[in-house]
Amino acid sequence: MRRKIFPYLLLIPTYLVIVFFIYAPAFDALYNSFFRVSVFGRRKIFVGFQNYLSLFADKDYLYAVNFTLVYTGVTVVVSIFLSFFLALLLDQKVPGSRIYRTLIFAPYAVSHVVAGALWGFLLNPVVGHVNYLMRIFFGIQTHWLTTTPYAAYSLIFASVWKTLPFNIIFYLAALQSIPTEVLEASIIDGASSWKRVWKIIFPLVSPITFYLVIMSIISATFQSFAIIDVMTKGGPGIYTTNLVYKLFLDGFRFQKIGLASAQNVILFIVMMVITIIYFSYGQRRVHYQ
Amino acid sequence: MRRFWLIVLVVLTVVSFAKVKIQFWHAMGGWRIEVIQNMVNDFMKLNPDIEVEVQYVGSYEEILAKLVAAVQAGTPPHVVQLNEISTQKMIDSGVIVPVQDLIDKDPTFDVGLFLPQVLNYYRVGGKLYSMPWNTSTPLLYYNKTMFKEVGLDPNNPPTTFSELIEACRKLVKKDDKGNIVRTGITWPLYAWFFEQYMALQNQPLVDNNNGRTAKATKVVFNNQAALNFLNFWNTLTKEGLMINTRRADWTAARQLFISQTVGMLISSTSDVALLMNESKKQGFELGTAFLPLPDGTQRGGVVVGGGSLWILKQKKQAEVDAAWKLVKYLAEPGPQIVWHQATGYYPIRVDAIQKLLVQGYYQENPHHLTAILQLLTSVQNYNTQGAIIGAFPEVRNAIDMAVEKMLTGALTPKQALDEAERNANKAIKEYF
Amino acid sequence: MRKSTKRIIKTIVFEILLITSSLLMFAPILLAIIMSIQPPEFVFSYPPRFFPRGLFLQNYLEAFKIVPFARMIFNSALISIFITLGKLVTGSLSGYAYANFVFRGSKISFYVLFATLFIPAEIVLIVPLFRIVSRFGWTNTYWAMTVPFLASATNTFLMQQHFKTIPKDFEDAAKIDGATPMQYFTKILLPLSRPIIAGAAIINFTYAWNMYLWPMIVAMEDRMKTVQVAINMIMNAESSNNWGIIMAATVVALLPTLILFFALQDLFVKSLVGSGVKG
Repeated sequence: MRRKIFPYLLLIPTYLVIVFFIYAPAFDALYNSFFRVSVFGRRKIFVGFQNYLSLFADKDYLYAVNFTLVYTGVTVVVSIFLSFFLALLLDQKVPGSRIYRTLIFAPYAVSHVVAGALWGFLLNPVVGHVNYLMRIFFGIQTHWLTTTPYAAYSLIFASVWKTLPFNIIFYLAALQSIPTEVLEASIIDGASSWKRVWKIIFPLVSPITFYLVIMSIISATFQSFAIIDVMTKGGPGIYTTNLVYKLFLDGFRFQKIGLASAQNVILFIVMMVITIIYFSYGQRRVHYQ
Repeated sequence: MRRFWLIVLVVLTVVSFAKVKIQFWHAMGGWRIEVIQNMVNDFMKLNPDIEVEVQYVGSYEEILAKLVAAVQAGTPPHVVQLNEISTQKMIDSGVIVPVQDLIDKDPTFDVGLFLPQVLNYYRVGGKLYSMPWNTSTPLLYYNKTMFKEVGLDPNNPPTTFSELIEACRKLVKKDDKGNIVRTGITWPLYAWFFEQYMALQNQPLVDNNNGRTAKATKVVFNNQAALNFLNFWNTLTKEGLMINTRRADWTAARQLFISQTVGMLISSTSDVALLMNESKKQGFELGTAFLPLPDGTQRGGVVVGGGSLWILKQKKQAEVDAAWKLVKYLAEPGPQIVWHQATGYYPIRVDAIQKLLVQGYYQENPHHLTAILQLLTSVQNYNTQGAIIGAFPEVRNAIDMAVEKMLTGALTPKQALDEAERNANKAIKEYF
Repeated sequence: MRKSTKRIIKTIVFEILLITSSLLMFAPILLAIIMSIQPPEFVFSYPPRFFPRGLFLQNYLEAFKIVPFARMIFNSALISIFITLGKLVTGSLSGYAYANFVFRGSKISFYVLFATLFIPAEIVLIVPLFRIVSRFGWTNTYWAMTVPFLASATNTFLMQQHFKTIPKDFEDAAKIDGATPMQYFTKILLPLSRPIIAGAAIINFTYAWNMYLWPMIVAMEDRMKTVQVAINMIMNAESSNNWGIIMAATVVALLPTLILFFALQDLFVKSLVGSGVKG
């Protein structure tokens, strides 16, 4: 008898946690998303789908959706391409590449908060080094964190910086496991280096690319909260407010529990969709040990 | 001998259990944390049967969010400081003990000594729900030394918008490359100043007598008075006569003034003590004045800002009583004076002000007096009593957003007003 | 001749590119460390400085004064260690179940767990998670900051996949020797998995140490907040312009995980790739 229940016992700790702290909140959000809740939670009115409808009619929410797409999209695209090239560079047998690797990987160990603080400092119009260098080289000065296009750029810099190492690590591992025969064959075939990169290497690592795109999307959408909170607080205005930041504001600054729950449900669904897409198409993910 | 210590132990345990423990949450950071702790320590000395745990919980927004969580967890604090715009929300919440109820039961407490201007803000429908505590109004601070340097009269600060613009123009200093290294004025990007300028022009923010005779249903600030202020703000920004901060960045605004990057600052009177110290350290003479008005306007009045203390319902009556004692104590002249001198928030009772006048305090510290005078000379009506709106934080947010867009040039002042009106009305409608 | 000069040029170009890239990537961290030990005059100086001059530890001391920094470091450490241990324990237990046992409902439960794979609850579910945690009365406690994160699908699958690679012969031999499944687990399986566990530990610790949104929401008092939140607090305090102090706090926040990374870089990278953990 003990033998039979043993595996179930093993699973209990994990399940306790995910039932109480992932599934229960998900259902709580679902439930409350159909209500209007007073600030202190004492009064509730059932409003059906009204919260969702008002979200989709809300200019600010739609803006947050748009900004999330733009911010995430740009970050991911820039990060993927940059990291691919840096991985190619690191893969070359250049002396000292081990040191470079260590330095380039470093931002991974650091938190998003730190990334935001560091870039907040570098981009500070008065004491930051970026503006100083820009002054010298280009003669232009910008208020990075408080003016319209530049606030978004600032966030993108910080996000790209933070997601590059993760992507480079994976690309490097992928590159290093490409059998040398394939590369040699292409050299014999007379392919130029550039062609080799694009026509052969990049397609070979496409499963990794797929994986990294998903992971970067998750990082740029969800974990960038810290970067936004530290650098721009969603401003100027709502310019840099993405879906997670808006959720935070509605739930914790304005106490709109019903509306925030609806936003939570939407985010949750988005996450699930991303996960499903990944697992439907991403079975080619390769392990590197 | 052992029996003696046993008795001592028992007595101590009993005594410690007999202490009523209450929690006091506040949003006053920085040097004020210690000031408050000292005041509470004095209170505890006078009331050995009460133990108060003081917590600095963060900003006003954070404190509200955390309060909600604590109430839902069944462990609300006993006394909580919230900002003035939380008034309607708290009245509607159902989780508070209105201060009026406690006053009515307590013959020792005389509300008559309090400044009517302050009481009138926090009295809704004739009832006082929270105890005013840290009260402020906006003030114009200026750098007298800098004024002298550019040929402005340090004893005649600007009193109208056009005078202020002129003064700013004189204060601007550029370096050899043409970049501005010093300019006229700054103030935190915050809707509070917008509200003040409506009151100063004797205008209400919302309908139903500023939300005081019935619940507000819409905003009424889309008018010339608001345009006067927004145009002024816009002009200053466009001409480079002012530096704008991030939203609600009081610290940045203060720093700009302290570092002498700007010659004038509009901020809260609660900064008086800090600015007095810092200006001494930086070596310039501080000046304070009433807020300047649009040309040709008759002065209405300023609205009190800051916050008040709320008492929350508790299971044990003893805890509510202890909370009331703490709140009463903090409203007494002694603590009010200490608080006033350490910050710049003014004493809300007439006898405290009288005491300081007699002591000659204001002769040595004239800046502390400026704010009081500005308040006392304010017209008293619904407009200057301040608006009561359930969704006030959202309304402020709507104004802030619209102003930010105006400052980046995305909207004209009129468009910004329209947008602020739209979003504010939406928030008011959705208030639940 | 041509080919080798071409190669030399190539190498030089790559070298230059690599030097610039690695400097650019590391520069922010380096600058933080430099600025944290500079006095205010140098931090604020214009033009901004690039190289340190002297050692000024006052910034660190100031940081300890503005917020209860020591206590916050302790909080971060405690929470990170607890979460790491929790994840390792629950992950290895459940991974063992899925790898070595066949039981009814294993498929369904697997998918239930699977569904949570990419869901960072502390970000995607903040509002309802906070409500649930409030109802337990856990706000402002270490419980709220740790218990919801004591298990994760990633850890389970990582351990499961590793356990699957252990040959069944070991288990059979153990059974013959009369060992209970638990004994097999503790005496044979785990010791064989040391590298995986170490790697997972590093990654879990890094993730926990770097958490921001959740500790910020859940902590009511300053002394319950964590090191990451401290950075934000210092940036919003009176000294908001004193970047020296902010950088000092930032350095404290990044140092443990950075040192961990430098010391165990290979293990770090290996585990990251092996587990496919979220960044």
